[in-house]
Amino acid sequence: MVEFEEIFFIVTVLTYLVASGVYIWHLIANSKKAGQLGTMLLVLGLFAHTMALIFRWVDSGHAPMSNSYESLAVFSWGIVLFYLIMERVYSIRAAGAVVVPTAFIIASIALVLNNGPEPLVPALQSYWLWIHVSIAMLSYGFFALAFGAGFFYIVQEHLLKKHYQNVVIAFVIMLAVIGLAVGLWLGFGAWAHPLDVVNPVTHETSKQYSGTDILKIIGGGAIGLVIGIAAGFLAGKGASKPGFAKRLPSLDVLDEVSYRAIAFGFPMVTIGIITGAIWADKAWGRYWSWDPKETWSLITWLFYGAYLHTRLTWGWRGRHSAVIAVLGIVIVLFTYLGVNYLLSGLHSYATA
Amino acid sequence: MRSTPPDGGAPPACRRSFPVSSLQEANSENIAALPKQAAKPQISVGRKIFHFLISMKLALTLLFVIAILSIIGTILPQGQDVWASDWPKSPLFDFYNTLGLFNMYYSWWFLSVLGLLVLSLSACIFNRMPTTVKHVFKPRVDVKDAFVANQPQAASIAGGAAAAVAVLRRHHYRVKKGATGSVLAQKGRFSSLASVTFHLSFLLIAAGAVLGGLFGFDYQLTVPNGQIVNVPHSNMQAESHGFDMQFSGKALLDDGRTVEVNSTDAASQSQCLGSNGWWDGTEGICWVRGVNDGGNIVSAFDPRPSRYSTSLELFQNGKSISRKTIQVNDPLELNGINFYQESFSQDNQGGAVSILEVNHYPGKTLVYIGAFLMMGSITLALYFPNRRIWLKAGKSGELLIGGRTNRSRLGFKRDFERITTEIKLRTGQEAGADG
Repeated sequence: MVEFEEIFFIVTVLTYLVASGVYIWHLIANSKKAGQLGTMLLVLGLFAHTMALIFRWVDSGHAPMSNSYESLAVFSWGIVLFYLIMERVYSIRAAGAVVVPTAFIIASIALVLNNGPEPLVPALQSYWLWIHVSIAMLSYGFFALAFGAGFFYIVQEHLLKKHYQNVVIAFVIMLAVIGLAVGLWLGFGAWAHPLDVVNPVTHETSKQYSGTDILKIIGGGAIGLVIGIAAGFLAGKGASKPGFAKRLPSLDVLDEVSYRAIAFGFPMVTIGIITGAIWADKAWGRYWSWDPKETWSLITWLFYGAYLHTRLTWGWRGRHSAVIAVLGIVIVLFTYLGVNYLLSGLHSYATA
Repeated sequence: MRSTPPDGGAPPACRRSFPVSSLQEANSENIAALPKQAAKPQISVGRKIFHFLISMKLALTLLFVIAILSIIGTILPQGQDVWASDWPKSPLFDFYNTLGLFNMYYSWWFLSVLGLLVLSLSACIFNRMPTTVKHVFKPRVDVKDAFVANQPQAASIAGGAAAAVAVLRRHHYRVKKGATGSVLAQKGRFSSLASVTFHLSFLLIAAGAVLGGLFGFDYQLTVPNGQIVNVPHSNMQAESHGFDMQFSGKALLDDGRTVEVNSTDAASQSQCLGSNGWWDGTEGICWVRGVNDGGNIVSAFDPRPSRYSTSLELFQNGKSISRKTIQVNDPLELNGINFYQESFSQDNQGGAVSILEVNHYPGKTLVYIGAFLMMGSITLALYFPNRRIWLKAGKSGELLIGGRTNRSRLGFKRDFERITTEIKLRTGQEAGADG
């Protein structure tokens, strides 16, 4: 069973990789055939992905939501499914050049982090877990969408003013941050093998990293950073053409998409935090204990709450809002990843 | 001093810090109510404080300060953990400790900032409630021509009012006819109200948390197997009739496969082998295969606790008052006091010791009500935005149509354009059918 799941998941990741290339080619060459091929590949990949998840579910006996691999596998599955529906309804194949590579990166990280199914520790055996994790992931997805739209708002603004140098800088910064995050993540999650140290007094486990581990983590971050900068430079140069502005949606649409994604994500992050608190109450009798994950999700909530206030009360629009939406993803990334690896807390069992 | 957000609709809870006139889209339903910027009379201190509290700038600053301060608590160890952590007990440690940085979420300064936010929120809700209630329950239906024409979306079209009403109804708008012939059609009527109840829910949660903090308690109780211990803050005693633990692990089978295995209770080696299990020498643990695995276990490894439970009995005045096997996610609740299975350890003789979390939070019901109100109202406020469209017959037979929304302007613009097109089409068809 485990073998089937692995084979299907490897097929999934490879298909997404090829599909990413085809979608980017479609955007650059504006070829309709490439677009159709991309959609076909993506449907095929989604089928393999679904099979992998079903095998995982049957094999482990619980919904695949209990560790990094499972939540990422489900997350990338959701992205592809959501995107394919959007593509069918709105015929927006150009967006695939961003969405499909994102799904590929997330799925390939899941593949690297996969340790096979594990029994659930007692605290995770609750249906609140399923609701909590899926809603939290969904809200992260919407904030990522808001980030993407906000980023392209900034790019479009510079393109329209023909400030091509700034376009390149924007791409380099964005992909450098993403590359760094992905590199550090692989360093922490896959390459480093820290020892579990149990505190004799509090019985809490913490991770102890050796010198080699730290070297691997820094190395991962450095490689990711370099690849990100290089990719950002190439993408920025590629986008710095007068014709590219026409391929992107208008400033108004990008502004609206970014805002609406946050307006959709905010209730979800609210529900995600509250269901998490209810779950904690059921498991430990404390609905809020200022655990780092809770606190950081509260910070995320405050941040996007502030965004909505600047927009709905102060009437901020355009670049101001775009900058906030872009910065927000750093907080989301830290809440999702940074807390698991850098700060300890009740959620630490969620690391792979 | 009330103003309207540029997206239109009900006025915001908190005041913008700059005057409305500086905004491009300040056309609002209650713009006439704005005071003249004439000679200002003396403002009382109370009024000044109120204005300070309802300013959006203060609210956003407080959100920002809370976010920044919260980060400190996620970096420094908090509460009991600090004594077990490897923080050197140096003068710096003492200094941090005096500041309350090791218990910062309960320090007077952090709680003061939260308190100020609660004050600001209360003032904003108090400030906004009457207007919002009026806006939602007594919307303006009878309006002047200029009012319709000045809406963010406005058009003057060749169309009949009856056709327009039919089209709006088909688009799921609720239609209300006024006394002077004008019509208001609405969607998402409760969006603005939900926004207020969302802020109100925050106050309910805060109130519940304060009640819990003042009158509640929360501690760890260690109960060794077979012993009776006092339950602090109550006149009860607790006895553990046994701690039970089950494991999941992996096992190597004789055909070379690795499978998931579970442990069951087995008092002895012969009992374990008798049930086709595999004995690894640990007392009480017997590894068994899944039903469809086949093969025989050669070795078992990587055990993880999959379930642990304590058979707990409570006594009062020497009489047994309750008994239950508690496990994680399934506590024993009695008279508002909850006993949770938290973890376990071993005593000096190797006997099992159950570690329970005992707590009592009087405000929890309030917190739950607030939490459900919060989830419901934020969903209503953001997923069902308010859209208002007014219709009025113009002086020369044309139909004036104008509208606004409190959220997505582009979405509303599309909706509005579709509606006006359909009205024109339908009016044309009706005219054709008549003639």
